[in-house]
This record gives sequence, C-alpha cells and structure tokens, in this order.
Amino acid sequence: MMRQRRTWPIHLTLIAVSAVMLLPFYWVFKTSISGENIFSYPPNIIPRDPNPFYYVDVWYAIPFARYFLNSVIVSAITITANVVLNAMAGYALTQNFRGKGFVLLLFLSCMMIPFQATIIPAYLITGKLGLLDSYLGLSLPLFSTIICIFVYKAAFDAVPRSLIDAARVDGLSQWTIIWRVMLPLARSATATNVILSFIWSWNNFMWPLIVTRTPEMQTLPLGLARFLSYQEDSTGALYAFCIMVLAPGLLLFLMAQKEFVQGLSAGATKG
Amino acid sequence: MRALFLLRNRFVWVPLVLFIVIAGWNAWVATHDHGIISGRVVDADGKPVAGATVHLWVFNFTTFVEKDSTTTAADGSFRFTGNPSHNIQLSADKADAGRSDRIPVRLYFASEDFVLAKPLRLERG
Amino acid sequence: MGLAKPADGKRVVLRRSTRRAILVWAFLAPSLLIFLLYRILPLLWNVVLSFEAWSPLKPAVFIGLDNYQEMLFDDDVFWQALWNTFGIIASAPIGIAIALGLALLVHSNIRGREVYRTIIFVSYPLMTVAVAIIWRWMFDERVGLINYAARSLHLVDKPIPFLNSFTWALPSVIAANIWQMLGFYMVIILSGLQTIPGNLYEAAGIDGANAFHRFIRITVPLLKPSLFLCFVIGMLNSVTSFDLIYVMTSGGPGRATEILITYIYKLGFNETRFDYAAAVTVTFFILLLGITYLANRLSGGNAGAVERE
Repeated sequence: MMRQRRTWPIHLTLIAVSAVMLLPFYWVFKTSISGENIFSYPPNIIPRDPNPFYYVDVWYAIPFARYFLNSVIVSAITITANVVLNAMAGYALTQNFRGKGFVLLLFLSCMMIPFQATIIPAYLITGKLGLLDSYLGLSLPLFSTIICIFVYKAAFDAVPRSLIDAARVDGLSQWTIIWRVMLPLARSATATNVILSFIWSWNNFMWPLIVTRTPEMQTLPLGLARFLSYQEDSTGALYAFCIMVLAPGLLLFLMAQKEFVQGLSAGATKG
Repeated sequence: MRALFLLRNRFVWVPLVLFIVIAGWNAWVATHDHGIISGRVVDADGKPVAGATVHLWVFNFTTFVEKDSTTTAADGSFRFTGNPSHNIQLSADKADAGRSDRIPVRLYFASEDFVLAKPLRLERG
Repeated sequence: MGLAKPADGKRVVLRRSTRRAILVWAFLAPSLLIFLLYRILPLLWNVVLSFEAWSPLKPAVFIGLDNYQEMLFDDDVFWQALWNTFGIIASAPIGIAIALGLALLVHSNIRGREVYRTIIFVSYPLMTVAVAIIWRWMFDERVGLINYAARSLHLVDKPIPFLNSFTWALPSVIAANIWQMLGFYMVIILSGLQTIPGNLYEAAGIDGANAFHRFIRITVPLLKPSLFLCFVIGMLNSVTSFDLIYVMTSGGPGRATEILITYIYKLGFNETRFDYAAAVTVTFFILLLGITYLANRLSGGNAGAVERE
C-alpha cells in the first residue's frame, strides 16, 4: 500500500530550524562587514554600505597571526601525539596479556574523570615539570584520550584474524604487521582521531587560560576572549575577529564533514 | 600521474588554493606598500587650488593624530609618502580659500598606495 | 613456537609471549603515563588536598573536614553554584527532546536531509568562545536581536536585560548551550534511529498501531542507548561549560550563572585557595558520578554506551 507523504510540513519545520541555527552567524557576519547594529536601532536585515575594513582593523590591532600560529602549533603537536599514542595503546589492547582486565578498568574509570576535576593539580604538575607557558605544556594533557584509544581498538579488532595469521605465516614481524597491515586498514580510525583531537585542542579555552602566562603564547580562543574585555563591542572589529576565528574551524568542518559525523557517532565525549 | 590524482583530494587542493591566494596577496602587498597617498584639492567651484596645506591624520588607538602635512602643487595635487597606517584622514585648508572636511580613508593594508578619487573640496565658512 | 633454546647459553632469546608482553606494555606506557599524570594523580591530589590547609609557600597541614564544613555550612556561593549546576543539568533533556524531534524529521525520507543535518550540526564543532560572544550579543539589552524580535512582535514593551537580570541570565546561557549542542544530539540520535529495522514499524502498522504508539513502543525503547549517551554527554558538557559562562556572563550578575566549575576556577586562580577549591572539586566529581549512575539506572541498567566502545 503506497502512502502519500506530505513532505512540505517537514521541510517547513526544518527550514525554520535551519534559519534559527544560521541566523546568529549571518547576524555576526553582517555586523562585521558593516558595523551597524552596534548602536543603531532598529537593526537592518541587509547591511548598508558593506566594507571589509573592520577585518583590516583587527589585523593591525591584535596579533592575530601570532595567536593563529600558536593554535596551529599546539594542535599539530596534539594531533601527532594523539595518533601515535592512541594507535599504540589501541593495538596493545587487542592483544591478550596478563593485567589486560585491570588496564581496561583503569581506562574506563579515567573516562569518568572530566578534565575540569583536575585543573588545579594539573596546573601544579605542569608547573613542576617546568612546562608552564610552553607549547608542550599546552598540548600535553590532550596527548591521549580514552575515546580515541577505543576507536583504534575497535578498528584493530575489526581486522580479520585470518589476515594477521596469513601475514604471520608469511614471516612478517610484529612491527611490519602493524605498519603494513593494520594501520592502513584503520585509516578511518586515524581520520576520526585527527578530527577529534584537532577540535579539542583548537577550541580548548580553559587549559590555555590556566597555563599561559605571557600574551605571546596565547592561543586563538584566549585572544578572542581577551579582545572582548580589552575593547568593548562598540565597533565591528570584535565581530570581524569572531568571524576570522570561526573561519578555519568552519572550513575544516565543511571539508571533513563525513569523517566528522562518523567520528562522533563512534561515541565521542568531550575529553 | 600520481600527483595529478592527489590533486583531486579536497584535502590537497583546498590548502593549495589557500596557499596560492595568500602568496599572491602577500606579493601584491609587498609591491604596493610604499605609503604613497596622493590626490587633488579643488575649491568650491571645482578649480584646482595651489598652495593649500593638506594634513594627514593617522589613527592612534583612540583618536586621530596629525602626522604629516604638505602643500599642493600648482595643479592642486599633493602627495604624501611614508604613511604607516591603514586608517587615516585627510583634510585641506588655505588661508583665504576655506577648509575642507576631514575625509576618512580606509586602506586594505597598512601603507597601501592610495589615490584619492574625489578631490578635497575647500569650502568657505 | 615455544621456548627457544639458547645456543651457547650466553644469549637468551625471549619467549614470544614475553616479547609480546614487553611490546604491549611499551605501547601502553605513554598513554598510561599521560593518564596517570593528568587524570589519576590530579584527582588523588585533589582528594588529599581537600583535607588539608595549604597555601603554596607553606607546608600542608591536615585539617580534616574543615574545608567541607566551610563549604557546606558557611559558603552561600557554593550552594548557589550547586543550584545553578542542577538547573543546567535539568535543562539537558529539553535540548535532547528538541533534537529527538529534529532527528525524526530529518530521518524521514525527504530530499536534502544531508543539507539539513549539516546546517543543524555546524554549531557544534565551533569554538565555544566565539559562540559565547555571538550569543552574548544576541541577548544584549540595547542592540541584541532577541530583544529586537521580541519588541517587534510586541511581546514586551521594554527591552529585557537578559544577561544582567537574575531571572534571565541562567536561561539565556542554557539557551546558548542548547543551540550549540542541538546538532550533536541530533547526530547521535540519528545514528541510533538508523539501527532500528524498518520492518518493526511495518509489523506494528499491520497490527494496527498508530504513529504515536509506534513511537512510544518501538522508537523510544530502542533509542535508549542513544538517549542515554546524549544525556550523559550533554550533562558533562553543560556542567563543564566553563568557556560559555566565562565569556557570556563571567558568573554574573552576582552569582546567578556561577556553576561549580567557574567557582572552582575562581577559587583556584583568582583567590589562590587551592585547598578549598580541591574540596569543591571533589564534591563536583562525586556529583558527576552520582548523576551518571542515576541516569544509568533510569535508562534500565547497562547503558549500551559503554558496550559501543
């Protein structure tokens, strides 16, 4: 029996919701190119006299390039360490060894400890290690996360046993098996890890806030928050800065949508 | 051949395009940042004014500060060099011919070479 | 391949199982070290510190439950922060309910569902600081869009100072948080919906169940793992939404939007009271554990979320 579905109410609702989701972006973008609505009332829908000069102002008023570079370096370190450490740990968890149950329990219980429950001692530890205000100190806590380990474990578990056995029969060493057989097959796990660790480290605000001591080491979120307090939102510059900060994340999301959603469906949490 | 295939991967061509755009922009900026601001001064009837003083104001954190001044040539044109800023204002005056409004000029990058499109108009009173 | 006999007694070739054990532990070591250093040790340090009085230049003194006593009986800010935290936790189901509705709409076979999904999801991976600035401005009393819309629609006469009013501040923050998390919840629920076999609905339809019954009896029970995951993550996210509150209201006005985590931060880094902050942190952690356990029980035991990993 064919049911005739009226789809236009669904489309209408979804379009309304999409508008609500996109409206803030449009509004901020509009203000960043026209500087209206800061004090004008009522605000306009289409910007009059759009100009890109607020972006120029922001470029020269704040060290955007410096903040950007800091964020990029910290994220690069975090991503690399993440892939390496989590792949190793994930692979180790596919093997049977004494104490495996204990290690699994340990990992699962670590999952329950949110980052925020550790900030003060983590700060003290980082201080003792002499890593305050350094790229390594900024990225170290995010070097390894349970989610990512389990993502790799699941990917490695999915490699058919027969393949590994065949490789072993062919005389390949453990190392070669990992490198040549398992890692290439876990490509989606690597993509997930890269994306998750990038997002966590790029958007990370609280930890850099705690660990950076000098303005030169601040990352992008810090720079943005600092700009807010340093110059009130009386010009379009703050919103231009907002857009400039959002642009890389947005671009990456649009490029890597599929991997993104896949990674999240693999059961992600925030750290 | 393998390189061509790589290009179809969006993670390759997007950064590549970005890099080309950024490199191109930087090249443009490097060749156009002498800080030359030029324009003309005319009087209320539209005739060029010689010997008018033109002031260059530069934005300094909260207000505009006069940085430089020059005099117009016989044909009413003036020329500043070495403007360091991206946010400036120009004004002109002459003793018996009046003064012009302060015209804000926003540049795309600091020290952009810029030619004023509409001339500075001296009004009396 | 068992024990390899040493040829001349000088070189010992390890058993494969020993080699494997070394490899495994070597692989696990770096991650374990990170967790030890940045999860386990800090938690334990917090617990110990909560029973001590410590200012960074003097040695620690064991003072028993004094910190907890101060926290529970002398500290109004703690109770306000706790209350606000509960408020935020209680608001998570609102976002999940909306996302459930959206997921059902997007899941139905309409054209362009990928586009809708992307648009609704785009807010999640963005920097919370930027989102906070955007919403702080949207809620602004003079120039914010919300006030403008409310006044245009003649809902109110005077603009509402959302972020400066004791009644509106926390709901505003919650609204911004829901806006950001909606896409995330929706994606999780969508992937849960996709695991429900379609023939279940057909069979129920044949048996005479209407859409509402189908929803209650089939969809919701089978979605329990996804909903549980959404709740736990949503709760964790909102309770730890330091970024959002720090930028939007900084805990104000007064302490109307102060939650436990912002209070801990202020205690630790503005007042440098590490010991007292540790006590609040331990309480915060126990609260989180408690809520997660409760949610697990309420969704019928074994959450399914753990199994998925």
